[in-house]
Amino acid sequence: MSGNLLQIGQSGAMAARAALELTGQNIANAANADYARRSLALADMTATGSVGYVQGFPTGSGVRIDRITRADSSMLYGQARQSGSDLARATAELDGLREAERSAEQAGIYPAMVEFEAALGALRSDPLSPSLRAAVLERGRVLVDSVRLGDSGLASAMERTRFEAQAGIEALNADAGELARLNDALLRAREGTSGHAALLDRRDALLGRMAERVGITVEYGPRGMVDVRLGDGTGPYLVSETSAAGLEATTLADGSLAFSLGGASVTLASGALSGRAQALSAQRDARGELDVVAMRLASLVNDAQAAGVTPDGTTGQPFFAATGARDLAVVLADGAGIATAPAGAGAQSRSTGNLDALRAALGNGGPTAAVDGLLSRLSQAVAGRAVTHQVLSAVSESAAAALSRETGVDLDAEAAELVRFQQAFQASGRVIQAAAEIFDTILGIR
Amino acid sequence: MPIAPTYSTTGFYRMAQAQQSALRGEAEALQRQVATGERLERASDDPVAAARLRALARADRLAQVDAGNAARAREELGAASDRMGEMANALARARELAVLAANGATSSSGRAAIATEIAALRETLLSLANATGTTGDPLFAGEGSGPAYTRAPDGSIGYTGTGEAGELEIGAGIAVQRGLTGPAFLSFQTNGASSDVFALLGTLEQGLRGDAGDPAQAARDALPAFDAAIESLGRGQTVVGSRLAWVETVETIAGETAEARAVEAAEAGGADLAATISRLQQVMTALEASQASFARLASLSLFDRL
Repeated sequence: MSGNLLQIGQSGAMAARAALELTGQNIANAANADYARRSLALADMTATGSVGYVQGFPTGSGVRIDRITRADSSMLYGQARQSGSDLARATAELDGLREAERSAEQAGIYPAMVEFEAALGALRSDPLSPSLRAAVLERGRVLVDSVRLGDSGLASAMERTRFEAQAGIEALNADAGELARLNDALLRAREGTSGHAALLDRRDALLGRMAERVGITVEYGPRGMVDVRLGDGTGPYLVSETSAAGLEATTLADGSLAFSLGGASVTLASGALSGRAQALSAQRDARGELDVVAMRLASLVNDAQAAGVTPDGTTGQPFFAATGARDLAVVLADGAGIATAPAGAGAQSRSTGNLDALRAALGNGGPTAAVDGLLSRLSQAVAGRAVTHQVLSAVSESAAAALSRETGVDLDAEAAELVRFQQAFQASGRVIQAAAEIFDTILGIR
Repeated sequence: MPIAPTYSTTGFYRMAQAQQSALRGEAEALQRQVATGERLERASDDPVAAARLRALARADRLAQVDAGNAARAREELGAASDRMGEMANALARARELAVLAANGATSSSGRAAIATEIAALRETLLSLANATGTTGDPLFAGEGSGPAYTRAPDGSIGYTGTGEAGELEIGAGIAVQRGLTGPAFLSFQTNGASSDVFALLGTLEQGLRGDAGDPAQAARDALPAFDAAIESLGRGQTVVGSRLAWVETVETIAGETAEARAVEAAEAGGADLAATISRLQQVMTALEASQASFARLASLSLFDRL
């Protein structure tokens, strides 16, 4: 009987020590974001043999460690992943749009356009003045430079976005491959062990990372294995048991991206990759608008030149050449080639009829207004997306907080556990002591 | 800002960090507004105000050009007015001489002297009519850049400028004619025929020299034409004077508009210093309180009691 008591005390002390170790493990991982709190599930050890069956009273023979439980909530993990996905998409899109806004704004296209108009206005006061004509030409060159600067800024923004998307795809495919291997490891690991729990930690961390790249749906299988679908529950499998498919991106002719999974084309709804694709489309559109502005500017000014005569009485030659914003250039060699007078005015005319027509064309809904429209649209888009981003960031923050509340380590709670298990250990020690005393008492009978 | 109850240590720290960095970011943005006086750092901070500011900056720049053009127009009109005043003096002197020549008591040698002076006055008028403005361009040749009047081989003087004086924009949609063409004030109608001062003086000079009968009669015949010529010149002077006044009015209006634009720009994009600083103070107070309460909460650890 006393042997049984000794065993009970020993098993209690061992269980308390294991629980203390687990608490220590929790405390050590308090700052580990991927770690989910563990707790020990205990079960009593009921004697099944005849050893513990004394005088018809079945008693237990101690406690055993049943399993290590990992704080888990697939619903909270799912919410955190979904909101993280949405936030990553919004962040990537906002970044791309900010980049486009910065490129268009800092190139100074609008001020350069205004200066060009102003130089034309100043030329009216003395249309034959060589210095004022030279000023118009120089302002034209500045304008050309800033339009090209804006275009190259947008082009390199697109380049960066594409590069980031490619890097994201490589990281996603690496994560998917690792998840497939992890599924294999989960299949072999025994449930309820700390090894299995560590694999689950790794699994959830991988899923979280993948969800930030692209929107996914997770299907849970036995032993904590997961299948991952792209997008919603009807999407193609990215990870199916122990095999992973590779996502690929191809750059289209206009610079935007098309995604395919295992050869079949897919559309991404959320995640950073989808945000980057959206940002690329916006940057491409802005570039297209800049092209239109450049060509409009060139055709307006060149048409006006052709309609007028220069001071030497000849018809004006083209001022700009452009097939887009990229190759906009000033082709007029000399300020004397600016056709200020209307056709038929003759040589050395101080008439500004043609100049006035050009200024009116530039001013009323001309390229200046188009540039203003482009800047307005970009900044409106950024402002709107910033609001969306704020909302999604709050949603994601609260989902992460809920998840961390459910699965994270609370140091105060662990401190209380520490005290509790310490006391349990001490109590089990007392049980062993009592058993020893009983044994001594019986031995001491003479 | 309330700190939501959390049950996870990392969650608590992350929440506190997010709240404090949000407050800090806001405080920095406000500080930047105070330092620069601009409410907008980039267009997306307030797209509508940014578009408004762009339009205002453009209007400002174009108004500067208009102001330069108005100053130029004022100079040219002023110069034209001065030259026309001198022409009026010359013409008045010529009329006096014509009255003197019309007097029967004037001797023929006296008339010859008068004829010489008339010829000199004609030359004076020609040089005044070909006067140039500050940029070296003719004042009275319309849109032409050569001399307004040129002398033909036979001695007659004809207008060689264009028919219209150029317009100069001195404000949004406001243009003023930058001068008068010569014929507009040097030509006139007399006895149903049109003539100009050069023809008048040329004919008078020849008449006084006795080329066509009685010199005194020729002088008497010229007098009504002189009256018409002086009246035409006076009309021209009035037109130029009123245009000068108009330019000055437009300049005054432009100054007021520029002021209104500056006020509007300050409203659209400027930071209201008093409001910004008090808001900054408020955010700073919240940040300090949040930091203090975070420090108090974070120092509460059960491990200290074990």
